[in-house]
Amino acid sequence: MKRRILVAMSGGVDSSVAAALVHERGDEAVGVTMKLLARADTGFGCCGSPADVDDARRVAETLGFSHYVSDMAEIFASKVIRPYLDAYLGGTTPNPCVECNRSLKFGHLLGLSEAWGCDAVATGHYARVIDGRLHKSLEPGKDQSYFLYSLDAKSLSRAEFPVGSLSKDAVRAKARELGLKTADKPESMETCFVPNRDVRGFVAANADATAPGLTPGPIRDRAGKELGRHNGLAAYTIGQRSGLGLSGPEPKYVVRMDAASNAVIVGGVDELQTKTITVGALTWNGERNGGTLRADVRIRHRHAPAAARIELNGETATITFDELQRAPAPGQAAVIYHNDEVLGGGTILRSIVGGGS
Amino acid sequence: MTVYLDHNATTPVRPEVVDAMLPWLRDGYGNPNSVYSLGQRARAAVERAREQLAALLGAADPAEIVFTSCGSESDALAIAGAAWQAHDETKGRRRGVVTTKIEHDAIGLLGGQLRRRGLTVLEAGCGADGTVNADELKSMLDDSTAVMSVMHSNNETGVLQPVAALASAARAAGILAHTDAVQSLGKVELDVKELGVDLLSVSGHKVNAPKGVGALYVRRGVRLATLIPGHQEKNRRGGTENTASIVGFGLACELAGRELASASAHALALRKKLEAGVLRIKGARLNGAAASRLPNTAHFSFEGVDGHHLVVALDLEGVCVSSGPACSSGASTPSHVLSAMGVPPQIATGSIRASVGWGSTDADADRLLALLPGAVGKLRSAAKVSA
Repeated sequence: MKRRILVAMSGGVDSSVAAALVHERGDEAVGVTMKLLARADTGFGCCGSPADVDDARRVAETLGFSHYVSDMAEIFASKVIRPYLDAYLGGTTPNPCVECNRSLKFGHLLGLSEAWGCDAVATGHYARVIDGRLHKSLEPGKDQSYFLYSLDAKSLSRAEFPVGSLSKDAVRAKARELGLKTADKPESMETCFVPNRDVRGFVAANADATAPGLTPGPIRDRAGKELGRHNGLAAYTIGQRSGLGLSGPEPKYVVRMDAASNAVIVGGVDELQTKTITVGALTWNGERNGGTLRADVRIRHRHAPAAARIELNGETATITFDELQRAPAPGQAAVIYHNDEVLGGGTILRSIVGGGS
Repeated sequence: MTVYLDHNATTPVRPEVVDAMLPWLRDGYGNPNSVYSLGQRARAAVERAREQLAALLGAADPAEIVFTSCGSESDALAIAGAAWQAHDETKGRRRGVVTTKIEHDAIGLLGGQLRRRGLTVLEAGCGADGTVNADELKSMLDDSTAVMSVMHSNNETGVLQPVAALASAARAAGILAHTDAVQSLGKVELDVKELGVDLLSVSGHKVNAPKGVGALYVRRGVRLATLIPGHQEKNRRGGTENTASIVGFGLACELAGRELASASAHALALRKKLEAGVLRIKGARLNGAAASRLPNTAHFSFEGVDGHHLVVALDLEGVCVSSGPACSSGASTPSHVLSAMGVPPQIATGSIRASVGWGSTDADADRLLALLPGAVGKLRSAAKVSA
């Protein structure tokens, strides 16, 4: 029986091919491009910029299915951009893609898809759903399961990732075979709504100028000695080396941001290493095995999941890695895997740095 | 199968109109301004269409009809043309345009442009029923006003405006009176003499002729600055005449005039059926209900629903309605017309317009009425979940 599938189309090659595959197998594809920024003239690659809408529409026209634009700027501002700003202003490193997937694509859009009589929402993510459980894509280099870990069982039951079993090369080849305009479009790698990767500029332009995160303060070592000044916590991320303006015999890295004293704490590379992190806002796919388990944990998108012992305590968990890990940043996601399967994950609250085990 | 209920956006071209146009795209390609007979035949066809328009609009002289490319061009020629002409003739003393807050964007945006270029543009508001505040508008007219422009009927709500009374007030003060009658053509009787206007805009594609042709009635003796200089259209509008489309527009006007009474009765019956059905949905309201409206237009708001998403839901089932004027961007911003009527933004963004026309059937109305309650209900549930 022909199903109706809403395909979230960013205007990029992955979601174009995802839509093509849905259409090709005989289901009714309904392409939707979310307009995420209120300003219509943003010329860069956030979903719903005019050029991307045109690209998505052209793909739909070429293949012969309907395409719509849905303005979600208001909800994107409140669910994604505002928390992003707040995180940076508070000295943590946000993960807006996780929130966009949860609140927008598999939140608001999923709700709309049901109202529109759609049976599922498909996206161009590189991930797989097997028996209602989230798995890594078959191409390890492209896997995006990290950004999807917080989808709940209901969302996963209605999610489809048509390119999740393909390689990027295969996706581009498919797009070329179908003559899609987006076949050779470059990847978008940065946070889509931040122009020119200028995080600090974006935060400063969109936050109250008197916000604490934009207030200059001290750069200290772990002993409390002031080594220099910073321009506001919002500019820094754990593990960052450049841009501190510090001189010295040994390279210094940001190891912590202390919002209470508005201080950036720096240290040597050894001080970035940690074995233990705590995570909050824990989500778990399926029955939660309380207590302790062993699994692999990924602490940033390109991080190779590392073996760890995990103690589950309700909404939080304490994760102790077998080996030292470099620079887990509060605010980033920690995603827990058993082989290819995502078991759950949460937001890093705190990392106990300095080699604590 | 598509159910088309958006005749205020555009209309299907009637087959007899297509047939009448085709010879002028094939063998009758001569330039109507040429001396030889190939051109003269085209000239005759254009002039016959001019007579057909004049007849439908009640113009005394076909020479008062100026063909343009569209309704927006007609509006610009009328308002900017009249304003700059008066401005120049009076050395800047008459420099004002008085219009309303509920005009089509063709006029709203033009007003902004004229204002930036130094003219004065005043906009009167409207009442909760969508009828322009006549007293407020009259109080804006003075000896610095060059032209008054009030739409004949509103394109969104269909509310008919008191053009005759306002035109009479304007002309008594030596002010040119223009009306944008694009949305009224073929739906209600239009008579330039009864309305007492100097300028009146119409468009072909709203009356089952093709897109790309419009016309402006210009009362004999009215002087306008030109937007497109050229010798055509008695020096009022340059550009080689679009013979085929003009011929199609002429025939469409003749057909509309001949069928006006039956078409408007048919439209009104469908509109009433739609209104009765839609108002049974909880939280539905009919905008402009208290005013006199076009027979074919019904504009509804649904609490707790995004109009754009409702349009998509209906389109997925093959029914075309609109959620606002030219809503292609996916934005459900409250329409300026509903805002002027005082409709709160959270209700205004949940609006759709159904407009019937040539070819609309009872079955079309039934189809919309069958789908709408479910679509509204599901969208309300979705909105609650993600709120």
